[in-house]
Amino acid sequence: MVRLEGPEVADLTLFYSSGFHESAGRRSGPVLGRGGTFIPGRTARERSKGVSRLRCLPWERLAWLGVAGLTTYTAFDVLIFVGELGYYNVAYGWSILGVLAFGAQITLALTATVIPIGFAVGFLVGWARTAKSWFLRAIGGTYVEFFRGMPPLVLIFFSSIIVSLVARSYFYVEDAAPYGIGAGALSLALHSAAYQAEIVRAGILSVPAGQREAADAVGLTAWKTLSRVIMPQAFRVSLPALANEFASEIKDTSLLSIIGALELSFWASLFIRDALALDLNLVFVIWTEVALLYFAITFALTRFLRTVENVSKVPGLEAAQL
Amino acid sequence: MIRVRGVHKYFGDLHVLRGIDLDVEKQDVLCVIGPSGSGKSTLLRCINLLVRPDAGDVFLEDVRVTAPEIKPEWVRQRIGMVFQSFNLFTHLTALKNVTIGLTHVKKMGKQEAILKARRELERVGLGNKLDAYPAELSGGQQQRVAIARALAMDPKVMLFDEPTSALDPEFIREVLDVMAKLANEGMTMIVVTHEMGFAKEVADAIVFMDHGQVLERGTPQEILERPGHERTKSFVGKILR
Repeated sequence: MVRLEGPEVADLTLFYSSGFHESAGRRSGPVLGRGGTFIPGRTARERSKGVSRLRCLPWERLAWLGVAGLTTYTAFDVLIFVGELGYYNVAYGWSILGVLAFGAQITLALTATVIPIGFAVGFLVGWARTAKSWFLRAIGGTYVEFFRGMPPLVLIFFSSIIVSLVARSYFYVEDAAPYGIGAGALSLALHSAAYQAEIVRAGILSVPAGQREAADAVGLTAWKTLSRVIMPQAFRVSLPALANEFASEIKDTSLLSIIGALELSFWASLFIRDALALDLNLVFVIWTEVALLYFAITFALTRFLRTVENVSKVPGLEAAQL
Repeated sequence: MIRVRGVHKYFGDLHVLRGIDLDVEKQDVLCVIGPSGSGKSTLLRCINLLVRPDAGDVFLEDVRVTAPEIKPEWVRQRIGMVFQSFNLFTHLTALKNVTIGLTHVKKMGKQEAILKARRELERVGLGNKLDAYPAELSGGQQQRVAIARALAMDPKVMLFDEPTSALDPEFIREVLDVMAKLANEGMTMIVVTHEMGFAKEVADAIVFMDHGQVLERGTPQEILERPGHERTKSFVGKILR
C-alpha cells in the first residue's frame, strides 16, 4: 500500500491551528480507515469548524485514481490478449461500444430521475409510518404493502399503457411514447419508495425516545425536532441500506426496456438478437460490456454514498470494530 | 411560581398520579423523593407537558399551562429540564447542543447564540469542551452540558429528573456542585433525587411521594429526621441506612 506523507503533515497543522490541544491523542484529523487508507471527506469536527473540503482532500485520493487507472489498463491488456486468442472479438466490441455508451447515458438519465423521486416519496412514507396519527400510519402502511407486493414489471406495463392511452385519446398527443416511459419510470420510483420507506422507518426507530423528549423539552416544534434532531441521526443509520436500494434501482431501470426506453439493456437485447444468428461468442462480448457499464454507474454512486457515510460519522460514536 | 392542582394521570389502567397538589415559590428548591414507580418522573413531565395530565391543572406564574389554547412549546421554553440519561443530541457538539434551542426556538442570531452558549458552558465548567461530541465526554460532563442546554433558554424553573442516578460515583459531585451553585444564584428548582445529602443541604422543602400521591411535605429536617408518615419513615430509613 502506498502511503504518502502529504495529508499527515497538512492535518497536523490543521490540528494545531484549530485549538484542540487538549484532545490531542484522540483522533482529530480526517478519518483513516483500516490499514491507514485515506477516506476522503471532512470529519464531523472539521465540518463544524468550517474547514474547507479542499484542505482535507490531499494526495492519497490521486494515488487511488492512479491505482484505478493502472488496473483498467491491465484489464484492457488482458482483454486484448484474450481477443487475440479468438475468444473475445475486440473489433466487434469497439463497434457496439458507442451505441451501448449512448444507452448507458439514457440509463443514467433514468436513474437520475428514479432515485430522487423514489427517495423523496420513500422518505415521506417512512416518516408517515412512524407518525403519531393513525391516519398517516394507515396511509403509509397501505402504500408499503401495496407497492412492495406488486411486481415492478406489471406496474411499469400498466402505468405506461394507461398514461400513453390517455395522452393519445384525451390530449391528442401524437407521440405518446415519452409520457409512457415517464409513467413507467415514475412507477419504478414509487415501487422502490416502498422499500426505502422501510429503510427510513428503521432509521427513525433507531433513534432513542430520549432524543425526542429532549427536543420537546428544549421547546423545538414538531417539524424542527424531526428535521434537526431525529432525521440527521436516522439518516446516518439508514445510509448503508439506502445505498443498497439505490444500487439495485440502477439495474431495475433495465425493466423500462420493455416499454421502449432506449437504455442500456434495450440496445443490448437488439445486438444480441443479431449476434445469436452470427456467432455465440459475440453475445459474451455484449454482456461483458453491458455488465461493465452498469458496474461503472453503480460503483460511482456507491463510492459517493460511502463518502457521505464517512462525512456523517460522529466522533466518539463509532460502532464495534471486528 | 409553579402550582399543581389535583393532577391525575393514567397510563392505560395504571393510575400513576392520584390527585397531586404542589406549590413551589420563586427561588425555592423543592426536592421530590420516593420509591421508584411512585410517579415522581411523571409529575415532572406533567409540569412541562411532556406528559399531558388527564385531570387537574398546572400553573406557571398564574398562567394555566394545561389550558388547551396554550402551546406546549411556549411552556417548555420557560421550563428547563434535565434528564436522568442526559439525552444530549448525539450528532451535535456540546456547543451546538446548546445553540440549537437558541437559534431555533428563541430565534437568536447565530453569533449571539454562540456567545451565549459559550457563556453557559463556561458557567458549568466546560469552556474547554465546546467542540466535543457527547460520546467523547464523561457522564458528568454530559450532564453538565445538558444543564447548560436548559439554562441557555433562560428558564423560570428548572426540573431535574434524577440527574445523578445514571452517573458513576466519581462524577456525581461535579453535577451536584453545579446544581447547588444554581440554587444559590436563586434559580427555582424541582429536583427528583435520591441524593439525601444534596436534599438536606440545598432544598428548601422536601416532598415524599408514594403510589402517585404526595404523602408528606416539610423542611429537610422534618422529613429526614422526624418523618411523620409511616411509609416516609421506612423509605428514609432504607435510604439513609
